[in-house]
Amino acid sequence: MNDSDRKIYRAKLVDDFVKGRISRRAFLRNAGMFGLGAAALGSGLVRPSRVMAAGGDLTPSKDVLDWVREVSKPFAGTTLRLATESTPPSNAINSQLKQYFEEASGMKVEIEVLPLEQVLQKLTLDIASQLGTYDLYYIDQSWAASVSRDVFDPREQIADKPDLAMPDYNIDDFLPALVDGISKYEDRWVGVPYDIPIFIMQYRKDIYDKMGFKAPETLEEYYEQAKAITDEMGPDMYGATGQMKSGHYSLECDWTAWLWGHGGSIFNADGKFSGNDERGLEAMDYWTRLYKTMPPGVTGWTWDGQGQSVAQGVAASMMSWGEFFPYFDDPSATKVSGLMEAARCPKPKHALRTVNETGFGEIPGVGHQGGSSLAVSRNSKNPDAAWIFMQWATCYDTQVLITALGGGTGPTRESVYDDPRIIANRRVGAGTTRHLDVVRETIAKDMGSEPDLPQWAELSNDTIPVRLGKYFAGEYGSAKEAMDDIAQAVDKIVQG
Amino acid sequence: MVVRSKTSRVLRTVAGWAVVALFAFPLYYWLTVAFKDGNEIFNWPPKIFSFTPTVKNFEEVFGISLGFGFGEQREVLPGGGNWRMGPRLWDSIVIAVLSTALAVSIATLASYALSRMHFRGRHHFVSWVLSTRMMPPVAVAIPVFFIYKDLSLLDTYTGVILIHALMNLPLAVLLMKSFFDDIPREIDESAMVDGASRWLIFRRIVLPMVKGGIAATAVLCFIFSWTEFLFVLTLTQTGLKTVPVVSSTFVTSTGTAWGNMAALGAAAMIPAFLFILLVQKHLVRGLTLGSVKQ
Repeated sequence: MNDSDRKIYRAKLVDDFVKGRISRRAFLRNAGMFGLGAAALGSGLVRPSRVMAAGGDLTPSKDVLDWVREVSKPFAGTTLRLATESTPPSNAINSQLKQYFEEASGMKVEIEVLPLEQVLQKLTLDIASQLGTYDLYYIDQSWAASVSRDVFDPREQIADKPDLAMPDYNIDDFLPALVDGISKYEDRWVGVPYDIPIFIMQYRKDIYDKMGFKAPETLEEYYEQAKAITDEMGPDMYGATGQMKSGHYSLECDWTAWLWGHGGSIFNADGKFSGNDERGLEAMDYWTRLYKTMPPGVTGWTWDGQGQSVAQGVAASMMSWGEFFPYFDDPSATKVSGLMEAARCPKPKHALRTVNETGFGEIPGVGHQGGSSLAVSRNSKNPDAAWIFMQWATCYDTQVLITALGGGTGPTRESVYDDPRIIANRRVGAGTTRHLDVVRETIAKDMGSEPDLPQWAELSNDTIPVRLGKYFAGEYGSAKEAMDDIAQAVDKIVQG
Repeated sequence: MVVRSKTSRVLRTVAGWAVVALFAFPLYYWLTVAFKDGNEIFNWPPKIFSFTPTVKNFEEVFGISLGFGFGEQREVLPGGGNWRMGPRLWDSIVIAVLSTALAVSIATLASYALSRMHFRGRHHFVSWVLSTRMMPPVAVAIPVFFIYKDLSLLDTYTGVILIHALMNLPLAVLLMKSFFDDIPREIDESAMVDGASRWLIFRRIVLPMVKGGIAATAVLCFIFSWTEFLFVLTLTQTGLKTVPVVSSTFVTSTGTAWGNMAALGAAAMIPAFLFILLVQKHLVRGLTLGSVKQ
């Protein structure tokens, strides 16, 4: 039994005793047995057969596995392949959960885990060659438009194959905002929402308390707090941090949050780039000021460096991916376990633009989302088998297990947030879910989604972040010059 | 005078060690990362010598409970749970060794022919061989993908071995040719006068004389294959992967698992180190052999 299991078991035991689910005698007996057995378990001589969480047993539901067993009979022996980014859901499925599916279905599931940009390359090659190497596609929201015709719409799959449909799959349980923001292009569903990294406010409560601050209500307040912390505590501690690596998608993500938060948008209703309008320039002015409160080196960091700067106690706050929060609470990996708090993003400075005022379905919101979908490829040679796996991987039961095992990643189904096993994990420690209420609220109220257009993958991964990087490297005379240059480049690509 | 020469000797030694330290330090630091836990990796100021060593990263990467055989994964680890990297190390060894053997075998024969035989367009042939090195690999990767798709070579040892051998061939041919050029032609001619066939001369006389060159070429080919990323990434799926490609799986959406990556990298140095150790007695001579022309 490893350290994590021990902590989880201990937490469950204490939790059950405190809530009166077990007697004092049972608590002491189990604690004693656990204590006595710990050495043997730790030595690797004895292994627990089930993974436990504070809220209960973390193994798949028997009903779900029975359904998999029954419906998969014609597909036994099939091998399914998926290329995915190394995200908490994919890692949880690959390392802990797919064995249950494989045992029940008789299928083999091969998951190729790669950095995001390499997933895009694999996916593009598979589509271009129509090879059907991958039966399922992991689709970042910024690629949805590009691949929408190459995957099955899950609603059609449910309607066309009632014999393969999972009872109680309940496709309406997926958070509507996520369906709109991640998995929809025009009138089609490009798979179902699979994961939801989203910007939330994460800050060091101890430092904020020391400075007499509360979680910032507005963007301007956030800047003032960040500046005060940097002025007071720098260079040991900086008030804010960022993911500002030149030419990387992460830089574009930061930009959109500030842009939307100042009432701007990437495109206007005519489909022209509008990041260089008055609101866009105001956002750039804000970002340039905030940048000065960040640690040196921030222009070389993606989300990795940004997260590390908080984890190692260099930065006091970040408005960034909520997925980091459970990692921050892990005492074996960071110096800030138990010190972080989550809050909704600060309110925008000006009213957000409406979808009608923007172009290509862009949804302005300070809580930038970077979610992804899971879909069955039209090139797959085993689309029915892949559809069974997809339903299993995204059903309520599996998503609860993913959320509990996968380090407190944000669920994409409404009902999962209320599951007792998820609620029970709201405690300081690795894999906490104590930030999920904020995630849920952010999805509902603050979420911003990038536009859907086939050229967006190129624009967001190259055109825009390369030029933003040049701006922060001082290669433009002013923010206006930089944004005008971006406008020219973007409009040229969009017009083809 | 004696003092000056002593001083200069000391200075030379110090400078020598400084250069060694310059090259060895990143390697040392990488190794320490493999033996540190998450908090110590990012400690500031960095803990270079005084840290608590742990084998946790190796246990996670190779799926072993050190001292108790193979373990059972109980945590969700980065890398998508591809935590047993032993097979990936084996993939790397198979591909590097076989592609090196193939490239060196073909290059030895080809370069001997280019060095000794006269045929029309020989010089153009050498230029043509060299020109294939001028093309950026990324320009070739996608067309090769489609060719491999039709030939069913995607995700196979054969496919990767072939492409690595092909990529190494030009350099290997040019290197080996320079080694053959250094062997005086008179040796071949004397053997011919004694009635030896061309093949016999090659196998029994010339080949043993260029052993050092073959070793040097093999080392370069091996290192290329061992560290090659782009083709393995493009031409493989889930069937096989080499260490450089699989290392990238530790780059996750919630950060990079540096400890795991360093552990895999440290382990991956061992086969390469052993290979170079095996051929090193020929190596120094081989690397300098081509430098002095006949």
